Amino acid sequence: MITLDDYAPIVGEEVVGQLRRLAEHLQGRRFVHINSTSVGGGVAEILSWAVPLLNQLGLETRWEVILGDPAFFEVTKAFHNGLQGFKVHLTPAMLEHYRQVNRENARRFSWEADVVLVHDPQPACLIEELRPQAAHWVWRCHVDVSRPQLAVWRFLREIVKQYDASIFSMSQFAQNLPHPQYLIRPSIDPLSEKNRDLTDKEITAVLHHLGIEKDKPLVLQISRFDSFKDPVGVIQAFRLVRRHAPCKLVLAGGEATDDPEGAEILAQVQEAAQGEPDIQVLLLPPEAQHEVNALQRAADVIVQKSTREGFGLTVTEAMWKGKPVIGGAVGGIVLQLRDYHTGFLVHSPEGCAFRIRYLLHRPEMARRMGQTAREFVRTHFLITRHIRDYLTLMILLENPGNRLIEL
Amino acid sequence: MAKILDQAAENPFWFHECFLMSMPLGKKVANLKELLEGLREIDESVLFYHLMQSRLALGQPAVEYPNDFALWAANALQDSKLAEKLSSFDPFEYQNLGLVRQAVVDILEEYLWDLPFVPWARPGFEFHFCQASAVVMHSLISAQTLKEFCAALSKVGLDSIYYHFFEARWRLGELKSDDFSYWIETNFGLPELVTAIRNLDIYFYSLKELRETLQGLIHQHLGELCDHPG
Repeated sequence: MITLDDYAPIVGEEVVGQLRRLAEHLQGRRFVHINSTSVGGGVAEILSWAVPLLNQLGLETRWEVILGDPAFFEVTKAFHNGLQGFKVHLTPAMLEHYRQVNRENARRFSWEADVVLVHDPQPACLIEELRPQAAHWVWRCHVDVSRPQLAVWRFLREIVKQYDASIFSMSQFAQNLPHPQYLIRPSIDPLSEKNRDLTDKEITAVLHHLGIEKDKPLVLQISRFDSFKDPVGVIQAFRLVRRHAPCKLVLAGGEATDDPEGAEILAQVQEAAQGEPDIQVLLLPPEAQHEVNALQRAADVIVQKSTREGFGLTVTEAMWKGKPVIGGAVGGIVLQLRDYHTGFLVHSPEGCAFRIRYLLHRPEMARRMGQTAREFVRTHFLITRHIRDYLTLMILLENPGNRLIEL
Repeated sequence: MAKILDQAAENPFWFHECFLMSMPLGKKVANLKELLEGLREIDESVLFYHLMQSRLALGQPAVEYPNDFALWAANALQDSKLAEKLSSFDPFEYQNLGLVRQAVVDILEEYLWDLPFVPWARPGFEFHFCQASAVVMHSLISAQTLKEFCAALSKVGLDSIYYHFFEARWRLGELKSDDFSYWIETNFGLPELVTAIRNLDIYFYSLKELRETLQGLIHQHLGELCDHPG
């Protein structure tokens, strides 16, 4: 089992010590996280490491996953798309089904807690049934809600405003709400299978297993097959680059159990890649973390050409591996990539193509950007900082109205 | 000089750790005129966040602009001239946040006065007002002597540097002072070193650079016995 001390060589003894001292003020607090999937997607990943570490720090932390039928996930996917600005149509029957599934899940939960952190809209409605079971309810929004569709947000706002606080990944996502809003940036676990150091032998073995021959520079995008990740735009960019520089493209994505659109988008991508031997499209299972790690380490340039993005943990992962990253200038990617320092931001397939060429032709610049990016992640986007934010938040929740708390 | 380095202070210096939680207000402005109007109305804590605290919340690897307003002018309005004006503004030249607010308002007002149009942010790059809450606690690191103080500077986090250098100025109510120079002055005298620290161009530096600059300064005044970042 990974312990907190294992992070000390990466972030420094003092950072781990800080967490222990902060947690001393929160011993025995009961902290419940609720989301809608135990595998796939950034939220499940964050919880899989955060929950054990919070327990090690002396907080009684548990992770609950709500259950839902396909119709429920259709509704919550529509919420997701609507929150990210797409036009969606929600009928009263769909909204009632959403409430009904939340009511059914609420009956399964008998715990009592000091703080409940409800992740994303899927379980948000639980508060209507379970409010008395916890002292503080906090809604955690992981998606890009910078320009939500009004009808969707109007419905969710009525639920969210019942919470004591909400958390967003960026200030751009904050809303007009009657309670305090906090910023907590997501993070990655440097010791997870997806991010731990790999030997050259391990990397080669994965490439061999996936049938990737590294005979040309490798451009990579790792992300779910989701229209907001714009995999088709990456293929367009790649075709533009290929006129000028030899390289190959790998698009590799996982599937999440709460995303019913994945198969459709994958089919579109496969069609767009047809007849191009230097493009490989790989559908990876959620447990393929080792493979993702190896692909990122094998890549020469990593792309995340999203058109909407909550935060973009794949960008963080790539930066941590010291790679130059090109990202769509949206959502949390803007926070992570600073032109010429930690990566490049782009606005179109043409822009993406141009920056891929730039980096392929300037390997020394690419190396320097990758190193700066890694240090930036070390300071701001590793799990130790995330745990520190959780602890700080809990202290703030216990001292409402107090903006400076001296322990 | 070695003697002063090992001389025990009357009161040891306890380094504090400072954990900020940024708190977006859910209010945004899309053009320079709206920013100007917003600046007149916002709480001083919001002004403080965008001028000071944001450097701790998400310190960039390279400092191009020392505050959020200048950064926004450059990146969102793509107005380099305004970014230059807002960069050279130093909040530590004013006695309180009310005067700081007036100074920023004056810059924007004068700038807008001369423009035939109102500069707008690129879509998606609006300015979002934020403030912060902070939890502060004693670290385990303290210094009884100047030698210990020098060594400790390398060990404490950047949040500590922020707290004792930036937050202190408002806490002490003296914009020209800070916890470090105050401790040295009240325990050891050393007026030249104290003045040098107070004259540091702290608003210009990133927190990392500031730590290194401070260490360099102490090294310069107290000699080889004090750790130098090298």
